[in-house]
Amino acid sequence: MTTTDLSEREISEQLITFIRERFLSGDPQGELDEDTPLLEWGILNSLNTAVLVSHIRDEMGIDVAFEMMDPRAFKSVRGIASALRLF
Amino acid sequence: MSLHRLLIDSASRFPDNLAIAGPVGEMSYAELDHRADALAHALSREGVRPGDRVVIWAEKSPITVVAMQAVLRLGAAYVPAVETTPAARVAAMVRDCRPRAVCGTGDRVRRLVKDLEADVRAVDLDEHRDKPGGRVRPVDHPVEDGDLAYVLYTSGSTGNPKGVCVSHRAARAFVDWAAAELDARPDDRFANHAPFTFDLSVLDLYAAFSAGAAVCPVPSELAYAPARMVDFLHRERVSVWYSVPSALTLMMRDGGLLDRPAPGALRALLFAGEPFPIAGVRALAGWTRARLLNLYGPTETNVCTFHEVVPDDLTRDRSVPIGRAACGDTVRVMRPDGGEARSGEEGELVVDGPTVMRGYWGGVPQRGPYRTGDMVRVLADGSLDYLGRRDHMVKVRGHRVELGEVEAVLGAHPEVADVAVIVGGEGADARLHAFVVPVRGRTPGVLSLKRHSAERLPPYMIADEIRLVGELPRTRNGKIDRAALSSETTPYGPL
Repeated sequence: MTTTDLSEREISEQLITFIRERFLSGDPQGELDEDTPLLEWGILNSLNTAVLVSHIRDEMGIDVAFEMMDPRAFKSVRGIASALRLF
Repeated sequence: MSLHRLLIDSASRFPDNLAIAGPVGEMSYAELDHRADALAHALSREGVRPGDRVVIWAEKSPITVVAMQAVLRLGAAYVPAVETTPAARVAAMVRDCRPRAVCGTGDRVRRLVKDLEADVRAVDLDEHRDKPGGRVRPVDHPVEDGDLAYVLYTSGSTGNPKGVCVSHRAARAFVDWAAAELDARPDDRFANHAPFTFDLSVLDLYAAFSAGAAVCPVPSELAYAPARMVDFLHRERVSVWYSVPSALTLMMRDGGLLDRPAPGALRALLFAGEPFPIAGVRALAGWTRARLLNLYGPTETNVCTFHEVVPDDLTRDRSVPIGRAACGDTVRVMRPDGGEARSGEEGELVVDGPTVMRGYWGGVPQRGPYRTGDMVRVLADGSLDYLGRRDHMVKVRGHRVELGEVEAVLGAHPEVADVAVIVGGEGADARLHAFVVPVRGRTPGVLSLKRHSAERLPPYMIADEIRLVGELPRTRNGKIDRAALSSETTPYGPL
């Protein structure tokens, strides 16, 4: 179902870059990593999860059926990246 | 009449009907009734007595509903917290309302109670998931109308959450009104979108229970998956949906709600908690023939006014009115000079009547009318338009947030010298922006500030954007210049 050739690592890096710029004022201290709890710490909420999903679809070109994804995957960058690779 | 009587009566009339349905699990009225009695006996053995409080810190599931009913049957009051409520906040609630017990799932309840060193029992709901065997003596402790049914903790301007105390009388005045207004029936299926900490859930649960209807809890993680939420609405054949407008906006914008025909079962769509941008109301009115109802009321008064959307509303350039008094309440609009506002005039909405709270836990009892802090305009036909707040309380995706509480938490971070928090954007796009002045020589990370907040505040109160600044703009008289800060916030832009 996916058309991506990106590796899980490349997906993670792109997600981290996007989340830093868009939701963490650039994350000047470079604190965000693959296991940062995105939902628990309020980095993702219902609104910006939708923004992230549009980015994955439109900018990263991963054509995935998000309604099939377990919403719990959004708990961390690692969770999202591995869920994206599952398709 | 008590709040728990609704379920007891429906269990005798419709024992085989489903009381709880959907992906979180199913439970018939007979089973819910039986389990509530069994758990009431167990809580009684733990020392819970009439007049006590019991905190229920658990996910949205049938056993959580069982626990709420068990507490009520003992003549005690429940104090809900949700899965995502951080332990420190639950601890603050426990220290404030001094419950006899904390019910929850997993180890964290035991850890919390141990850390508190207070005289409070930990009750692990996981140990009560199996069906109780045999007959159980019914528990239905008589309560007075004015007795406490539940306490809802809400954001407090001074930095601590405050507990709104709701009596059986107040809860029933609201639920009985809602069930009659909606003509709730045994074959209804009420979606339950709001968490149990949010008073919207009171309608979902108890209007359903009053009619022998099913309540279908929406799993909380679906908030991040609008398409799944739309799917839920269809699959569960929901007949009554009640949520904040933001949820419906996300379902329309990102979940494809309008791409499929409206489900035939859907007969009423209710919204409350924040103004619904008129474009969203228009879109829904064009999509479904279900009744559209705008409900209004702070936690302190529950729903006190409502308005049913009529075709004329759709040509307005602002949101639909909040309407007229409901639930037997009377509402007045007080001008700044103290006089009563007439048609065309503005003022603060003041509510009196059966749904008004008993007071905040530990505070002075509420006697007489409650001043909402909400500014409204009186329309020509006597109904009301919502204008905004007269203080620093804001709404973020329908949740009420005291900016002072968010500031107090961020301000307590060791590397923060000063902080101001404002809200930018409206409706589903509302976001909290924090402007943080660090302690000299320190540079706190954005993530560490988020983590610090997450340990003390519910997720919707964590600032969405955190920016470090050298100083905060001040007005001539030294107050933080919030208007200057507002002009610095940037919207997300087109999605």
